[in-house]
Amino acid sequence: MAWESPEGPEVSNRLGSGIVIVIAGLGLGLAALLITARHGVTEWPFVAAFGLLIAIGEMVQFKVDRSRNRAPIATSAALGYAMLRGPSLEVAPDIAQVIAVTSVATMIGMCPRAIAGLRWDIVVSNRRVLSVACAAVVFSAVVPRDLGWNGSWRHAIPLVGAMLLGVLTAGLVDALVGAGQATELFNKPFPASLRDELLVMGRIGMAMGLSGVLLAAGTSLLGLWAPPLVIVPLLLTQFAFRRFASAQRTYRTTVRSMARSTEIAGFSSPGQNARTASLAVAIGNDLGLTPARMEALEYAALLSGVGQLALADPSPGGASLLRTREERQRAAEIGASVIERSGVLDRVAEIVRHSNDPYRQGRASNSAIPLESGIVNVALAYEQLVGEGTGQSPDKALESIGLGIGAEYDPVVVESLRRVVGRGFRF
Amino acid sequence: MRHHALRVFVSSATLLALVILGLAFGKITDLPTLLALCLLMLIGGLLRFSVASNYLASLDSVALMAVYVIAGPWAAVIATAVAYLPQVRRRLPLIRRVFNGAQRILATAAGGVAYALAGGPVGDGALSHEARAVFGAMAATLAQHVTNAALVSLVIWIDGKSSPVEFLRQVVLPTFFPMAGYSFLGLLLAVVWLGGLGALAGLLVLVPLLFARWALSQYEVERTAQAATMRAFIQVIETKDLYTRGHSERVSEGVGMLGRQLRLSDDRQSALEHAGLLHDVGKVGVPTSIIRKPGRLDDTEMDAIRLHPARGVELIGNIPFLEEVKSAVLHHHEKYDGSGYPAGLSGESIPYFARIIGIVDAFDCLTSTRSYRPARSVEETLAILKQDKYTHFDPLLVDAFVDVIERNGWKSSVAELPEPDATVEATIDHDDLSLGSSGGASGSAAGPV
Repeated sequence: MAWESPEGPEVSNRLGSGIVIVIAGLGLGLAALLITARHGVTEWPFVAAFGLLIAIGEMVQFKVDRSRNRAPIATSAALGYAMLRGPSLEVAPDIAQVIAVTSVATMIGMCPRAIAGLRWDIVVSNRRVLSVACAAVVFSAVVPRDLGWNGSWRHAIPLVGAMLLGVLTAGLVDALVGAGQATELFNKPFPASLRDELLVMGRIGMAMGLSGVLLAAGTSLLGLWAPPLVIVPLLLTQFAFRRFASAQRTYRTTVRSMARSTEIAGFSSPGQNARTASLAVAIGNDLGLTPARMEALEYAALLSGVGQLALADPSPGGASLLRTREERQRAAEIGASVIERSGVLDRVAEIVRHSNDPYRQGRASNSAIPLESGIVNVALAYEQLVGEGTGQSPDKALESIGLGIGAEYDPVVVESLRRVVGRGFRF
Repeated sequence: MRHHALRVFVSSATLLALVILGLAFGKITDLPTLLALCLLMLIGGLLRFSVASNYLASLDSVALMAVYVIAGPWAAVIATAVAYLPQVRRRLPLIRRVFNGAQRILATAAGGVAYALAGGPVGDGALSHEARAVFGAMAATLAQHVTNAALVSLVIWIDGKSSPVEFLRQVVLPTFFPMAGYSFLGLLLAVVWLGGLGALAGLLVLVPLLFARWALSQYEVERTAQAATMRAFIQVIETKDLYTRGHSERVSEGVGMLGRQLRLSDDRQSALEHAGLLHDVGKVGVPTSIIRKPGRLDDTEMDAIRLHPARGVELIGNIPFLEEVKSAVLHHHEKYDGSGYPAGLSGESIPYFARIIGIVDAFDCLTSTRSYRPARSVEETLAILKQDKYTHFDPLLVDAFVDVIERNGWKSSVAELPEPDATVEATIDHDDLSLGSSGGASGSAAGPV
């Protein structure tokens, strides 16, 4: 699951390439609708059944990760419709009709969400229209329109092969578009974004794609009896991934809330942990870390101060007591052992443990120390200099951090910080 | 007598199953297909996963329906027998292992009879008689499920150790619809198989289910991680005061016991346990010097302590728990007569979970050592709770809690805590303060809180 910045709402407000995607999707849909209207719609019952399934799937979409919405039922149904053949259908739907049905049903499914004030995302929905269109093009390019299921493997194998090719195309197109968007929004190198997108594609994407193939094959053979029979894998995929996504979200908020305990206890100023974490995440994205490492990095940045809880009370002013390096390293060590106690955050603990080690004595000589420790170290330092209240200018802060390159700070991370700040990162 | 009846019942069921199995072997026509289907059943049987909270769905119900349609009921009987072999659980007593096998074969046979009676087509006919195939599948599922339920209920009833009604309510009813859904999927698998794809159809069906299974297991992983992380944090916060070590986890366990007694739904039960664990999380905002201060607290210091429920809600406010968790954390120091804090709520207007936590909180505090007094015994503490039940606590909940503790006992904290410290005059725990009449901090030390 691709990592995205913690500020979900901000992301969905920034469209950028999203506008291109929406215009492309809507334009394609409109063109397809006009062509279909001129040629006339074929096989109405199938249009209605699959359109309904797509609309319902769109209606029950859910949020995965920060800003990506998923609607597995809609995706499977749209892919399934794109690959229908005889004997159940006398005329297989042509590409324009597939695109028109997908586009219209998606818009219809989105309306109730928009009216009810639920989360909806026109960019993601249009990405689906585009990728389904690609699947339809590939499938009908490979399979002649009159090739249908006849009970023999001579027809079945090429049909399923073409379906898999179509589904794969849809997956790749969506991954490419998604990676482009991630690169644009989070300044993550494109290859790293693509790798993350393909990883997602390999899981939920595979489940959605194969359900689509099953739906298409079943409907081609059984007619409209088939869609209700596929209800189990569709619902199960929906239910399982939705629960997973919500548990993931709950866990992330839990860690974030717990991290705020240092603020409530007066060890850090309000928002300090969140600011440090947002900078660490920006640097991690810039360096193209994998999603798992990004997650550990964010948690480590949030929790880097937690060791102070086990120390004495903070001074009345609320400023950190820990002025010397030895004190900070001791707090980091305590924090790491606290985090380790949970038994599930060992990587986070490792990052926190070394988050106050100077580069020269640490990572430069010991490659076992993770890069993430260096990121947290730099993020903490920059936040201390620029963060609320202390108010140095970013340039000045970069300058003083630059003085510590190689001795105090990891040169790779400082370079990345320069890029991140240069692109206009502000707390 | 019972044992004898059980043996008679199980042996006759087994005998019948063996006869059916023997007949089925005589009816084998297409051996390669049968072998492929047996393989499918074996794979399906090994892939079990839990749907909802406690129901183990095994994918062999998908495969079984496919066998009915592709090769007919007799083949289904053989495939069932083959698929049961690796599923035999060695730890079960022999009689149960035998019964489970026989029961599956009989249920499959009953499903097969129903499929045939409903006119379900076998083989390529399914492609042209869709409606009959669907009705056949429904009939077979129903017959199979009912036979299975009847046989297991009978054996439970004869055995006499647990209630067959409970079994019907907890296992049979909730599993019916998922099972019907899986059977339909099996029908579709059969159709795609017959449509020319053969055994490859199995992959199309199983792979999406496997991904769903992966996601479900990840869900469990995330949940466990969350619980572990919260516990670790609570432990850090509790390091502020040696005497409250383990308090939150014990309260969580105690409210869990009480919640099960009150038969809360699964969601609310886990919410209640979370609330129990987190009720004192706001203490992180109370200066350690106040928490550890020996002697009496002045008004400012008491005010700092009284802030901890609100601090707790501030801390956990963003976590998407049920609202009840937050209200419970906020109001766990309210008293039934309205003399508690922070809002001075009384009676039923105190949130339900807060009333539950208030009781267990006080109970654990009294049965734990404090610097100024040793731990009380469980009996003594229950007496105190009963005595205070009309002033501080919800009387009905106190009765329920006393019941639970008297029945299940209580893992007291005494072993893991330090001895009372004779040099300390009186550090009064904030939970002790909530007990006026006979708590350790009675009279002047407690003051009107």
